[in-house]
Amino acid sequence: MLNAYLDGRTSLTGIIVKIVFLGIVDALAVFGLFLLADANAWTGFALVAAATIVINWVYLSSRTIPLKYLVPGTIFLLLFQIYPVAYNGYIAFTNYGDGHILSQEAATQRILSVNQRVPEDAERYSTVVLSNGSDEAEAPAESSDIALLLTGEDDVQYLGTFEGLRELEPGEVTGEGQDLRVGDYAPLTLLEANERSAELVGAFTVPLDDGAIQLQTFTVAARTVSDLTYDADAEVIVRDDGTEFTPVEGYWTSDDGETLTPGFRAFIGFDNFAAVLGNEDIRGEFIGVLIWTIVFALMSVITTFILGLGLAMALDDDRVRGKKIYRSLLIIPYALPSFMTALIWRGLLNQDFGFVNQLLGADIPWLTSRAFNGLLPRASTLLVNLWLGFPYMLLVCTGALQAIPGELKEAAKVDGASGFRAFRSVTLPLLLVTVGPLLIASFAFNFNNFNTIFLLTGGDPPIRGAATPVGYTDILISYAYRLAFGGSGGVDYGLAAAVSVFIFMAVAVITTISFRRTRVLEEIN
Amino acid sequence: MTTLPAATPKPGSPGDNERTHLAPKPRRLPPGLWFRHVGWRHLVGVLGLAFALFPAVWVVSASVNPTNSLAAMSFFPDAPTLNNYRDLLFDEPFLVWMRNSLVVAGGAAITMTVLSAMAAYAFSRLRFAGRRVGLLAILLVQMFPQLLAMVALFLFMARIGLVFPGLGTGTLTGLFLVYLGGALGANTWLVKGFFDTIPADLDEAAKIDGATHNQVFWQIILPLSAPILAVTTMLSFVFLFNEYILASILIRDELSFTLAIGLSSFISEQNSQWGVFTAGALLGGIPIILLFLFLQRYIVSGLTAGGVKG
Repeated sequence: MLNAYLDGRTSLTGIIVKIVFLGIVDALAVFGLFLLADANAWTGFALVAAATIVINWVYLSSRTIPLKYLVPGTIFLLLFQIYPVAYNGYIAFTNYGDGHILSQEAATQRILSVNQRVPEDAERYSTVVLSNGSDEAEAPAESSDIALLLTGEDDVQYLGTFEGLRELEPGEVTGEGQDLRVGDYAPLTLLEANERSAELVGAFTVPLDDGAIQLQTFTVAARTVSDLTYDADAEVIVRDDGTEFTPVEGYWTSDDGETLTPGFRAFIGFDNFAAVLGNEDIRGEFIGVLIWTIVFALMSVITTFILGLGLAMALDDDRVRGKKIYRSLLIIPYALPSFMTALIWRGLLNQDFGFVNQLLGADIPWLTSRAFNGLLPRASTLLVNLWLGFPYMLLVCTGALQAIPGELKEAAKVDGASGFRAFRSVTLPLLLVTVGPLLIASFAFNFNNFNTIFLLTGGDPPIRGAATPVGYTDILISYAYRLAFGGSGGVDYGLAAAVSVFIFMAVAVITTISFRRTRVLEEIN
Repeated sequence: MTTLPAATPKPGSPGDNERTHLAPKPRRLPPGLWFRHVGWRHLVGVLGLAFALFPAVWVVSASVNPTNSLAAMSFFPDAPTLNNYRDLLFDEPFLVWMRNSLVVAGGAAITMTVLSAMAAYAFSRLRFAGRRVGLLAILLVQMFPQLLAMVALFLFMARIGLVFPGLGTGTLTGLFLVYLGGALGANTWLVKGFFDTIPADLDEAAKIDGATHNQVFWQIILPLSAPILAVTTMLSFVFLFNEYILASILIRDELSFTLAIGLSSFISEQNSQWGVFTAGALLGGIPIILLFLFLQRYIVSGLTAGGVKG
């Protein structure tokens, strides 16, 4: 760096900017490394350390000029696009989801602490149930806002949380009744406790090294002992009655097939893919969604193109006064953010009170009819997508039409071609040359048009009796979203990830076709 | 399509010659012929406008309705009111959502443009091993939007949040960083294409005068590319402003909502606040619409070169 400056290959400002920039990056990196080490996240630690070294090398060496420009974007690309795709592929091979959220280690600990029994002579504590008011588990990791203030027979007080037990110093507990405070913790009201009794009484457990303390009633907790013994080296859990449990596909399972809950994340091979393709119910639903996705994307492109082109041609005449005003106003549906559009149409198409039915004086179930496999809601999504998408085609076609030489149309006319014939044989082919790649791009976009579907219908109306949560208007991406994040059917990250992998494959096919068509690969220079 | 020979549009001058065509010639057409040649075009245009604008008319009407429920709404309310706007601005965190959206989408759009312009410079001006492969890889990546990996992104950000609470799920910073992951895929090709049209002689000359590659990039290439950079920033901004799926997965807290999540939270199966929602759609949508109309010409060129917006 110094040599470069002395040789005049770099400027003083450049050097200062670089030093400040690297200083900030390194400071953040060191801070991050401390946190990672503290959390025992050694993979992350190694990656951050390696990335920091690479960044410093790239910006301090004078032989890495291209990398200086590529590294910043590439880091984000690797971290938030490439890695998630790979991780998604991994998740597709696991049973990650409801009942299998924890790692094997955490699930084992949980099983050992939950499977407790209260011995006759158990030590008991008078108890106050507290909460620190934090949200429910933020992440799929285990945590809880609940804590127990335990008072033993000897009047020593303890604070028990999901992490363990801590003896309280005198003075840490202040106030009485509902005003009682221990740090951030305040008592639950009786009403709150009642609402949450399922996760409290007989369930909330403070783990100890030997056994645990479990809440028996809202005011009493008892020292319990485990009837399970865990042998980490042999990877086996033995119950007092001699039954042995070994890990099988995400559950500790006995020879008789008895399982201990909760289960844990485990590699299950192609099971998710087999479920999509092999399980008759799920396969039928998946294929139904796939076909509708293709129809939706294709019809969206066709309808928007026809309407957009029609309007573009109608307005493509200099004798039409106010063309600019027409075009400017027609662009508004496209300019309006699409999440708003979909929601607005949800109101417009409401069966009972929607504006459209008011105008028509009708009672048409635009978004909710199940007749003919949800034909009407499906048509409605296409109508809304037409409204949303035709201005784009209008813009594009207007540009393309103006680029077609007028002489060509003249020549067709001189040769005696009718208006329609001239359009079909001259205008349309020339137009498609320009617009073709954009049509493919539009297809690819609509293939994953989450906003329109999810915000308009949410994928509904639901298909009755379906094995997975799925509705008639669901496209693949909204289907995957439901599997992973919503719906009453529970959460199945593994299956959702597998569906995503199928979407990837479909997109890969579209991409291949589009590359062939645009020949973009040959143009790289 | 029937066209009179005299009226062939002149390529490249859209609408500019409207005024010259006010010359009496078309006026002299008898009414029947006028309709056949020109009038039907107006008819189509007006029908198109009716289709395009009637939802907008309803939005305006709903936003001044005194009631929030569709059931009690009338198209011409007896007593139009601005109560919905007042509720939106003072009782609901609309302004906070708007700020979140502007900061996250705006910040990410600008950063994305800088990142992709840097990469585009390397691909356009420098020659190095792996350049072709890199370009191809970016083209491929562009085809697979981030939202396809939403499950993995959610779980990944949750894990990050355990170590760095300020960056994980639930934080706008985390959302911002996730958006940056799409930077190279979104714009690099578009910007590179533009850089390629800037004569290389220009930077050669600068280099002979002693400019470093840095100075060439920041002081020559970037200023010359201002229009395309403005368009990419604008398109990225609109895309991110619209982005719903990742924001809905990663953000939980009401005060961290983006406008997309916030406004959609007014509409639910059980209890929809249509009045407040439509008021929000108008206030949130109009700036974007104006931006669009204002930059229409540039956007069209950007769109045809790049991809589509949602």
